[in-house]
Amino acid sequence: MADYDRRGGGGGSSYNPKKRRYRDDDDFDRRGPRRRYDAPPHVRVRKQLVAIAENPMRPWHEEVAAIATLFTDNWDDELLRANFVDLVLQLAVEQPLKTPFVAAVVLLANAARPEVVDMLLAKLAPLVEAKIALGEWREVKLYLKLLACLQSCLEGEGVFPVLEELFARAVDLQTASSEDTIGTEIVKIILLTLPYVMVAAPGQWSQKAADLMEKTEIIASEPHTLQALVEPYHPEVGDENPPQSQSLIVLLQTQLQNEANNGWALSCLPRPWEFPLGEVEQRSKLDDAAKHALPAIRIPKTVVAGARPLFPEIYFSVYANQEVESVPPLNNVAASLIRDALLDTINVLHFNRNVTARHLIDLDCYFSPRTFAARATPFDKLRDIERPKSTWKPEDVAVDAVFSQLFQLPNPEQKLVYYHSVLTEACKLAPAAIAPSLGRAIRYLYRNSPRMDLELSSRFMDWFSHHLSNFGFTWKWTEWVDDVYLPDAHPHKAFILGALDKEIRLSFAQRIKNTLPDPYKELIGPEKEKDTPDFKFANDDAPFAAEGREIAGLLKRKADDEEIEAVIQRIQSQAIDREIDALVASTDVFVTCVLHVGSKSLSHVLAAIERTKDRLADAGAASDAARAQIITATMTYWSAHPGVALRIIEKLLNYSILTPETVITWALVSRAGNTRGEALSVAYVYEMVFNTVVKVTGRVRQLVAKPPLAGETDEEQQEAAATRDREIGAMRALFAAIEDALASWATGSKDEMMEASDTEGDSDGERLVRRWGERWLRVFRRRAAIEEAFLAEAEKERARKAQQQEEGKASSMQVDI
Amino acid sequence: MRGPRPTVERLDQPSAYFASRNKRRRFDKEQRDGDEETNMQNDQPEEDPLKDATTLYVGNLSFYTTEEQVYELFSKCGEIKRLVMGLDRFNKTPCGFCFVEYYTHQDALDCMKYIGGTKLDERIIRTDLDPGFTEGRQYGRGKSGGQVRDEYREDYDEGRGGLGRAIQARQRGASREYHEDDYGRLK
Repeated sequence: MADYDRRGGGGGSSYNPKKRRYRDDDDFDRRGPRRRYDAPPHVRVRKQLVAIAENPMRPWHEEVAAIATLFTDNWDDELLRANFVDLVLQLAVEQPLKTPFVAAVVLLANAARPEVVDMLLAKLAPLVEAKIALGEWREVKLYLKLLACLQSCLEGEGVFPVLEELFARAVDLQTASSEDTIGTEIVKIILLTLPYVMVAAPGQWSQKAADLMEKTEIIASEPHTLQALVEPYHPEVGDENPPQSQSLIVLLQTQLQNEANNGWALSCLPRPWEFPLGEVEQRSKLDDAAKHALPAIRIPKTVVAGARPLFPEIYFSVYANQEVESVPPLNNVAASLIRDALLDTINVLHFNRNVTARHLIDLDCYFSPRTFAARATPFDKLRDIERPKSTWKPEDVAVDAVFSQLFQLPNPEQKLVYYHSVLTEACKLAPAAIAPSLGRAIRYLYRNSPRMDLELSSRFMDWFSHHLSNFGFTWKWTEWVDDVYLPDAHPHKAFILGALDKEIRLSFAQRIKNTLPDPYKELIGPEKEKDTPDFKFANDDAPFAAEGREIAGLLKRKADDEEIEAVIQRIQSQAIDREIDALVASTDVFVTCVLHVGSKSLSHVLAAIERTKDRLADAGAASDAARAQIITATMTYWSAHPGVALRIIEKLLNYSILTPETVITWALVSRAGNTRGEALSVAYVYEMVFNTVVKVTGRVRQLVAKPPLAGETDEEQQEAAATRDREIGAMRALFAAIEDALASWATGSKDEMMEASDTEGDSDGERLVRRWGERWLRVFRRRAAIEEAFLAEAEKERARKAQQQEEGKASSMQVDI
Repeated sequence: MRGPRPTVERLDQPSAYFASRNKRRRFDKEQRDGDEETNMQNDQPEEDPLKDATTLYVGNLSFYTTEEQVYELFSKCGEIKRLVMGLDRFNKTPCGFCFVEYYTHQDALDCMKYIGGTKLDERIIRTDLDPGFTEGRQYGRGKSGGQVRDEYREDYDEGRGGLGRAIQARQRGASREYHEDDYGRLK
């Protein structure tokens, strides 16, 4: 990675001590005078092929022909010949937007050197086979796309027999189980491959395509049974126009049907193998080029899901229902085709977000001309574009694709922060084009966040604050200023409060305050600007003030535990006199003191916890109330900076001083109860519960996925299995506890809510709380369902492995005999 | 190895700094004990010290960036096992770098890909895979106690104490002479 710290800043500074110092002793850099040097052909072909179609000024057919010629002219170069095929295959899965162009080079090369296609197919067919066997479905799709683009040089029916065979597997799977997702995935792949066949060999395969689509319709015509699980919107009962989510597979089938009725126009797809009418020679060369037989691709009888669990997919767009269409409409196949190519690009190129962003910005280079409006056309100007010219904004289409991943349930392929970073880079590369699109997306998401799944609106908050932190925290807060006066439990207000807290965590209160219009400043109290929180025992009015100061003093000078114990005893006996819970009282004082002693930084507090962990563990083990008090004390001490409190609680969980149940009960029963349910609207309370659940499920997954160690005795294996079962049981109990606590909030049957409605008749507040309860419930029910699905899948896998092992043993015994 | 060279450069590779340091170290070693045997051993593929690295060196932080801020950003790639702030050798104040240790190698690689080169506290930060923190490395190695790069830095960087410290010292020295001179003349 580049040395970022050397960029910018200094500007014209010519003196770079680092460079000079290092040059002296770099024995490997002997720079002579620069000679004129032509790179060897294999280097040039690689360079040109990798960068194909990136230059919008260069006509496709010229570029394609130039590379093909360079390749075939140097056919005798063995290095080039060997590398070419590998590079073509690599590009197909690494830079999928370029597949049609790379295929066009192959098609042209085929005219001069037909052997090249045979060499390619000889590698491609086994690759497809291998990827199917592994269940790496995206790679299957991408290789099939390449194959589809080569349809015109394939013998017989080309890629169709493969698609049909795949379909047969999908049917088997779907008839076996209505919850099957592999079959759906296969049908998706077939439907996404078809259009490329149709543009690669126009006019020849309409009947074949129609036949295939007639068959896929049975599977693709109705939403999957699991779709409700991944639905991004969660509208309230009585929502007048809830957003309609579309199943990707259903959409695709109808879009292709439209396209078939339209004579397979597929106007968005590039056709770089088409030459202008004037270039008679090239055209006839292509027409007369040799045809090749596709080597057999065997598809195993049972296909597998692969490493990544499959779920039905939903077409998500933040630019739906605008007055002017800035993205392809849902009935147009372009919506699915462009989205698909972009998503593959985004998810494949996770290892270089800069290149991902570049591809997104240059997206119009990879689709047929006139698919999009000019880059950076302001949204307002789209209205002036005369039909039939396109009003699709390339930036909107690109941004939409990233958001569809960010808001994918249950989880997108890569970590969420990857999608953050892609949007950040895109915004850095083309701020004038991307920033307004992001702005409109933010407005849409903000408007719809109350009816979105809670996990997703929380992701939105997280992205929003992180994104702003990369761009000087500038946002037009004025447009939401009215929402500042809403009650805190209102979803919009809750979003504002949560987002500001997250911004402060990445920066500091004074800085964030300066970015806000006046009404918002009230939301950031003076306590947030203090370096460290006040120590409540500094004030004599606080109960146990003297004891608190004493303990803090003892902790600071790292006194012996007996000395601390003496003070604790004093607190406890006083507490008994005052008829309050002695354990709770002493725990509160002790924990507060530990936090105070460690208030300077997380390292300090972690060191303080490390030193006192035995006492903390004892305190926590003494009673449920005392354990809960550890959290109360932490949340109270760090109330101005809940982010710090959450980190500390996370570490206390690691030390097993707290248990996951303590956290759940504290948040969903005590805290929620004390605030009449309003705590459910607080972002950090959700974050705390969510993180805890993620921690527990992550641990279970680790245990379940862990293969038995080689040389493990039966006893050890049994022990591992027992640990696994115990942890699974604990996880289920945790989910049950969450369900229990939340169900009563969601139905409004919580005592605290009943009391509230008796006394005040606060129906609005009550409605808000009920709604928060519903939203929470949905998130954690989904989480539970997904973990159960994972466990079921792992169980199957274990059985399969065990069987394999048995068979292996049996066969080796035969050999022994 | 990760297979053939990708068509797009990877961001989760160690920087040239680490590679060149290693190269030099190897070279020195060869010079030191240059008998046949060690050379033979050196021909064996060496174990890559970063193969399972879970630690990152994080550079170009502001001196004012806190641990909490680092946690908040870096936790987006996975839970942090340990965070060690870089300190001025003499003042024991933050001097603009830290080590972040994750529980898994994958989290560290993801951090290289998704966080290196983005902003924290409004500065573009640098991440580099690191073979692991050892006691003593938390201190700046510059003459004045901070990082070496802050000694001779000619650009004014408010987040990192203004100009390079050696330059500041030189300027202070120069101005003191000037003032003394002035004073002398008045006398």
